[in-house]
This record gives sequence, C-alpha cells and structure tokens, in this order.
Amino acid sequence: MEKVLITGIAGGQGRLLASRLMANFTVCGVDWTPWPNPPDEISVYTLDLRKRRFEDVVRTERPDAVVHLGMIRHFKGDPKRRHDVNVRGTKQLLDHAVEYGVQKIVVVSSGYVYGAFPENPFYLDEEHPLSASRSYPEIRDLVEVDSLAAAFLWKYPHIRTAVLRPVNVLGASVRTMIANYLRRERVPTVLGFDPMMQFLHESDIAEAIAQALEQGLQGVFNVVGPGQVPLHTAIRETGGQATPILEPLFRPAIRMLFGAGVVPWPPGALDYLKFPVTLSGERFAEATGFQPLFGLAETFASLRAGR
Amino acid sequence: MAQRNGLLEGIRDLAGSAMPSGVKELQREIADRVRKIPTMLNEFGYDAFGLHPETASRQMLAAALAYRYYFRVETFGIERVPPGGVLLISNHAGQLPFDGMMLVVAMLLEGEPPRLARGMGEYWIPQLPFMSWAAERGGNLVGTPENCVALLEAGECVMVFPEGVRGMNKTFDQRYQLQRFGQGFMRLALQTGTPIVPVGIVGSEEQNPGLANFESLGKLLGMPAFPITPMFPLLGPLGMLPLPVKYRVHFGEPIHFDGKSSDEDEVVQQKVDRVRVAIDDLLADGREQREGVFR
Repeated sequence: MEKVLITGIAGGQGRLLASRLMANFTVCGVDWTPWPNPPDEISVYTLDLRKRRFEDVVRTERPDAVVHLGMIRHFKGDPKRRHDVNVRGTKQLLDHAVEYGVQKIVVVSSGYVYGAFPENPFYLDEEHPLSASRSYPEIRDLVEVDSLAAAFLWKYPHIRTAVLRPVNVLGASVRTMIANYLRRERVPTVLGFDPMMQFLHESDIAEAIAQALEQGLQGVFNVVGPGQVPLHTAIRETGGQATPILEPLFRPAIRMLFGAGVVPWPPGALDYLKFPVTLSGERFAEATGFQPLFGLAETFASLRAGR
Repeated sequence: MAQRNGLLEGIRDLAGSAMPSGVKELQREIADRVRKIPTMLNEFGYDAFGLHPETASRQMLAAALAYRYYFRVETFGIERVPPGGVLLISNHAGQLPFDGMMLVVAMLLEGEPPRLARGMGEYWIPQLPFMSWAAERGGNLVGTPENCVALLEAGECVMVFPEGVRGMNKTFDQRYQLQRFGQGFMRLALQTGTPIVPVGIVGSEEQNPGLANFESLGKLLGMPAFPITPMFPLLGPLGMLPLPVKYRVHFGEPIHFDGKSSDEDEVVQQKVDRVRVAIDDLLADGREQREGVFR
C-alpha cells in the first residue's frame, strides 16, 4: 500500500482527509498543533514544517505521496509568521520531496489567488493571472505558495504534482476566514454590493484531493462545488444576518480595527465582498470526473452544524 | 433587519395596491414571460451568470411601461432571431441607452419563446453600489471577451452595440449615420460560430438631439461624454429625459460567417462591414416606412 504524508493533519480538514485516505493508503502526518488520540493506524508528528525535525520525519517515513494542507488561512496571529510558515514551509516540503523520492504531491492552494476585481470575467480558468496581491497584499503568501508549487511542477515533471485552487470551502471543521465570517450572528457586508460566490463542502474538497492523489493528477486545477449564490443569500442560508455598511465607513474602520488586532480581516478582503471571483472547474471535472456530492443547501447547513 | 425588511415589503405592498390595474397586468405579463426564458436556474433561483429572473422581472416594469406607452415600440421581423446562441448587433444613439432597454423588452415581450437579451456592460458598472448587482441580477455582465464567449456557448442571446459611445453621444446632424464599428463582436462570432442578427432601431436617434459633446469636460467629471442638448444641462437631470419619439425595431435575417477569429484586421473588417451595411439598409427602410418621428 502506498504511504501518504499529510501536512496540517490535526486540523479538521486534515482529519477528514486522513479518514478518507485510510482505506487506500498508509497514512502519516505532521502538524504544528497536536492531534490527541489519532486512530492507531496513523502516525502523527507534532512539529514545525520549517524545522530540521520535519526533514527527519520525511527521511524515516519515506512517503510515496504528500498532501500539503498545512498552511495558515486566517489572520488571527502575526501576519509575518503566517507568511513565513506558508511560504518557507511549502519550500521546505518541496525540497524534501525531491530529496527523499516522493512521487506524488497535492498542494491545496486557494481560489482567492486570482484576486477580486470589477473586470473579472464570470468564470476564471487556470490560465488567468494571479493578481490577488494587487489589492490584497495580505494574502501574497498564498500567491507565492501557488507560484512555488507551479514552478516545481515544471521543474520536476517526473513527480506528479497537482495544485488545487478550491472555491470557498464550508463545513463544521473549517476555520478559514470566510467560514468564520459566515459563522457570525451579524455579518457585515458592503452596502450596494452582492457578488456571486461559489461554495464547496468540506467532504467534497477531501474527495477532490483524494481523487487527484489516486489518479496521479499533474497540473493546476480549480475545484468548484455545486454552484453559486449571491453573498447575501449565503449569509441568510448559513443562519446569519447581513448588516450592510457604507464602504467609506467600512474600509477605514476595518483598516483601523485590523491594525489594532481587533478583527482578523485585512482591508484587502473587502474586495471579495464586492466583486466576484467565480472559477471554472471544467478542467478538474474533465481530468478526474469529479462531481460534488453535496448540494448548496447541504453545504450551507454543514457550517451551522459546527456552531 | 427583519423589521426593515417588513417595512420595505410594506412599502412594496402599498405601491402595489396603488398601481393602476393596467400596470399590475403588465407586471404579471412580464413575470409570466420571464418564467418562459430558456435558462437553467439553481435551487436558489439564480442562473450561472448571476441572473435572478424574479428580480429581473421587477426591474423590467419601468422599461416595459416606456416600451408600451411612451416610445410605443413596434417590432418587425423578430421571428428571424434563431434559437440558441445569437448576437444582436444594433445601432446605438440618443445619449442614454434607452435603445438597449427597448431591445431587451422587445425580446422579452415579443420574442417566441421570450429571450433575455444580455447586455455587455462597461467596466465601471460593477464598481457602483447597487448598479453592480442590479445589472447582474438583470442578466447583464461586464463586457469582457471571456464573458461574451461563455454566454454564447451557453446558448444565450447577447446584444452588442459596436459603435459604443461613439454612436450614443454623436450629435444630431449625424443621426442615422453609423459610426465606426469595433471588430470585437465579429471575432467572438467567428470564434464561437454564432449567427449575427443585424438590428436597426429607428427612433432613438431623435430622442435626445445632441448639439455638441464636450468629451474632455465629461472626462473631467468621470463621465464617458458630456453632451449638450436643447434640454441638458439647462434643465438639469430632468433634461436627460428623452422625447416621446416612436421606436421601430427592425430585425434582419441572421448572417452566418465563416473564418478564423485570428484573421487579419482587413479580412475581419470586410465581415464587419457586411453587418454595418445590413443595419444601414434596415434603418433606411425603417425611416421610409414611418410617417413621422413621433408617430
């Protein structure tokens, strides 16, 4: 049986993926935070991807495949640390993969890397430039991770590398910025804007990763879910109440509160509440036959289930 | 928020009960036609491009009232519009895009089956609060080539005004003189194998006679143009109201073009000119048939 190493295995997403992969793979994993009492079949190491010990684990475990989930996807901590963990952590992982003969890699990037702009066409394909840093410098680490992985893909064609760019993932275990935002009782929005947004169930992204891995997918792929609704509909369906705020008040307030560490939303995130970043999932669906199992209503309900 | 919703609904109900029965009937007719538009909706009532037919049919009421009672629009040859992906290419005039709105209402109320003519908007529209989502819920998109291709491949009806602001803001002495056509629509038609229906709109060219256009002043104010008409800017925003001209919308035979979308400018230009001539003919015939500008 092939062995897969999952980074970020202790998070909700990591655990879901581990249990999905257990049937077909020997699973091991690393994470910064501990996973108390994992299933017996799974060896879990609590460590920092940037430290020497990670290399020791890769050398001794000798995984055939790696799934890279271990990135910080919120702004609750120090932004410099987030950048370093995400970018340098990814670099280390890719270096060790070459060194110790990993054959398949799945890097879970983000659909946000394209950036939210008024001139965005309705369905962005994978060739679209990654411009997020232009208006949202706080997530340039995600853009850098994506570019690192894409460059790796061309540099080492004998390693099956897949870069996945999923749309907004929702679920009981998801602790990303958008999931935490939708979990609020009163959800602030920008008055007069209501962009279409796509969502994907947490089990479906786990399934998509598993399929990419099992089929040895190579390339860059958007992963989309069952469809799209306007932001305000998503807020209503996840059980929140939208509170529209005038942009000339909202933006300076966010800048101030984020600077003071009161809210975990950088000002650049506001554009994602104004303009659509809707992706075309055609390439991934054609390559794998992937179809989301969960509909929009179930996906919204899954977020509430975590409350 | 719940309270505010209640208030909004109350106002809407009040407005609804104060509506004359003719208006209510028109609103019902619109809603009925909108339901027959061949487009796929998801479980929340949205199509793949952000169209929300319920919202669209509410938006359409004012335009439909103008269509029936103000511009008294007549259509000719609307049955020539083929089913599936199609490009409506029309002349553009009259300072404000009432011609586009009338074309949308014509396709909705007179087309069989009713179609939603999708507008390809300027890049600044999504940046305006309320306009951004109102345009999208009504089935319009930012005019990027990618959006146009996606709509046509989904079998939608897309309207394009290749004269753009050159046509809309021209002065009165240039009425019914087609301005330079862009080539973008033709390249997209070739790329997607989409038939083109030329459309000649008679009436809009007289609705708001432009005496002059101070483009640089417009640029200074962040507007695409600054037209001077007998009523604007003299009467302020009220001066932008169009004259009650009679609209006649003439649809031509669909034209299929063969060729590569990457062909030389001159090759594509010949095809563009064929469409331009077809629209010119429709306009000439339409003007000959009418008895006057207002009737």
